[in-house]
Amino acid sequence: MIKVHLERRLVPSTIMVIGAPVLALAATIGLGTILFLGLGIDPLATLYQFFWAPLTTPNGLSEWLLKASPLILIALGLSVGFRANVWNIGAEGMFIMGAIAAGLLAIHFGEGAPVWLLPAMVAAGALGGMAWAAIPAFLRIWANASEILVSLMLNYVAQLFLAFLVNGPLRDPDGFNYPQSPLYDPSAMFSPLFDEMRLNSSIFITIGAVAVTWIFLERSFLGFQMTVGGIAPVAARYAGFSQARAIWTGLLAGGAAAGIAGMMEVSGPLGQLTPVISPGYGYVAIIVAFIGRLNAFGIVVGGLLLSLLYMGGESVQIALNIPSAITRTFQGMLLFFLLAADVLIHYRIRLGRT
Amino acid sequence: MKTVRAALVVARGNDRGIMTMAQGISRRDIVRQAAGAGMLISASGMGINARAAEVLKVGVVFVSPITEVGWTAQHRQAADAIKAALGDQVVVDVIDDIFQPQDAERVFRGFATSGHKLIFGTSFSHGAPMAKVAQQFPKVIFNDCAGVKHGPNLGSFEAKYYEAGFLAGVVAGKMTKTGKLGFLGGFPIPDIIGPGNSILLGAQSVRPDSTCKVLFMNSWSDPGKEKEGARALIAQGCDVICAMTDSPAAVQAAEEAGVWAIGYASDMKKFAPTRQLTSMVVDWSSVYVQDARDVAAGTWVSKARWEGLKEGVVKLAPLVSTIPEDIRALVRKKEDEIKAGTLLPYAGEIRDQDGKIRVPKGGVLGDDDVRAMNWLIAGMVGQAKG
Repeated sequence: MIKVHLERRLVPSTIMVIGAPVLALAATIGLGTILFLGLGIDPLATLYQFFWAPLTTPNGLSEWLLKASPLILIALGLSVGFRANVWNIGAEGMFIMGAIAAGLLAIHFGEGAPVWLLPAMVAAGALGGMAWAAIPAFLRIWANASEILVSLMLNYVAQLFLAFLVNGPLRDPDGFNYPQSPLYDPSAMFSPLFDEMRLNSSIFITIGAVAVTWIFLERSFLGFQMTVGGIAPVAARYAGFSQARAIWTGLLAGGAAAGIAGMMEVSGPLGQLTPVISPGYGYVAIIVAFIGRLNAFGIVVGGLLLSLLYMGGESVQIALNIPSAITRTFQGMLLFFLLAADVLIHYRIRLGRT
Repeated sequence: MKTVRAALVVARGNDRGIMTMAQGISRRDIVRQAAGAGMLISASGMGINARAAEVLKVGVVFVSPITEVGWTAQHRQAADAIKAALGDQVVVDVIDDIFQPQDAERVFRGFATSGHKLIFGTSFSHGAPMAKVAQQFPKVIFNDCAGVKHGPNLGSFEAKYYEAGFLAGVVAGKMTKTGKLGFLGGFPIPDIIGPGNSILLGAQSVRPDSTCKVLFMNSWSDPGKEKEGARALIAQGCDVICAMTDSPAAVQAAEEAGVWAIGYASDMKKFAPTRQLTSMVVDWSSVYVQDARDVAAGTWVSKARWEGLKEGVVKLAPLVSTIPEDIRALVRKKEDEIKAGTLLPYAGEIRDQDGKIRVPKGGVLGDDDVRAMNWLIAGMVGQAKG
């Protein structure tokens, strides 16, 4: 009987660094074509709607970047921790807490706020996210509690806290008793970059974060220490690199990035606090970080891809009248193949007889 | 942004609602706008074939995934009704599972820029983004189910669920053994709290000691959580379960546990063949079809539609066969009385959970108060909070 097994490569394959995503794309298109044909949908039209149609208008491009921006920003922060095997699953909660911290400022000042309100809200967003991230960091170091579980469970706490606020203290007094805060004053909002489009100046925060994260991960000593801690924990300890510092750095970076992203979302497309402010960005960003292979520029590509998949899914639904269940299946296929194919960078497939 | 905000403040600040902004614009203006929109579309070559100028493109945004029954299924039925009524004079494009306001805004804008002249939202979370987009596309007509914002090209429509809720409550009050009902709501918003109250009012009208436990899910569609919630209520002795969410999970849980259920949005009999007492069915077809006709004719005028049993927007599903004839007769009688306006579900005296009198004897809760209801009546157990 022929046995298929994976054999570790001595050095990572340079061909597969490029080849793996190409293979994944080919597999997705192949399997997707079978899926669409089976459902009686034109595969070519579907693929066009998925990957190209959303980008054919200026507004489409604006929406593409608008949706990618928070995903990229959160994933950048998460990648700092993931490099050091600090598994922060709590970006969703940090996103929410950042948005709440900034929202308190926005609602407190209301109309005609001072010019420093928006920068202060960015800082509040970062601090809100970091405060939430400090809980799993502290518990990990003090009690050796798994940061995966603690950060994950805190997501639900943050979600319920937001629901409590918009149902109670922050509810818009003129809002017909609906659970949402008053609309933010324009002084608490990022200004749109172009007329009639939603892309706003917060995109520059994300661009700046890409540069900062790249320098930190690839060029700083602390970034190097964290990478070593992730690849070879024993070696890192032997070299005297502090594990506690890696945990604090990893979680706080993730918290700051997610907190700012939450603030950006509310001061951008949302304009007010509502019971649910995140369409799962904190979770999707984990996929983005891994599609980007924990590299700052890779994450930009990953974020743009995920954003395109969202928009492509919508465009397919509208153009071809198929339900979201099918577009979601196709999106899932692509993500699965992308992450699975990366195995081929470090392993080769061997066929052997038993 | 500033203009958007100003308009919203005007729309909200006006207590009576709703109609004033629409009245600010004359019927002729609207006709002219609609005609202008038609010209714009044919001129910009949006339609590929020559017939395009006469074809009305309608966009519908569903808040949750398309399923067999539930809120979105009823809206889909109404979207299909447009096609059935207007045939090839209309193209209806739909998209499902769009809940978040930031996503909804992108989709509304996408519909508006691709030649759709009538766009439906199906959730209160679609209201704020729809108001923003409506400002930027004055020639496109927007209508939001459960919306609270209005403008010359932005209307809303809602159903008087509480009328069917009261009747379902009468059935529940007659059939319950424990006198304890259980209510699961999606979000603690007036459109859900009000009907929840009305079910208990109906039950108390035939069994004064009835109580009702309430739980809110903070989500419209989370079948796992809904089933757990229903089981928790059943475990606490509730023997009639009603869920105002998007899935039949709670009704199924009731069937499994052998307690009664009240369906919502669709007739959910299929999921609880022996245990669904009845269901508060909503049928939006008349709204969708009327809007499509009016927009096609250029006669659409912004309004806040709020209709119930009389107009057929709310219906009571056929009662389960095990309900005795005397109860059926009672429900029929009360249904006729509600339709005739002689029975008012929110007539006083109504006290809240703290025992405070909210509606005095002989009084009735005003429409604005019904639509802003954020308090639970006496006998409700739980909080009107997420």
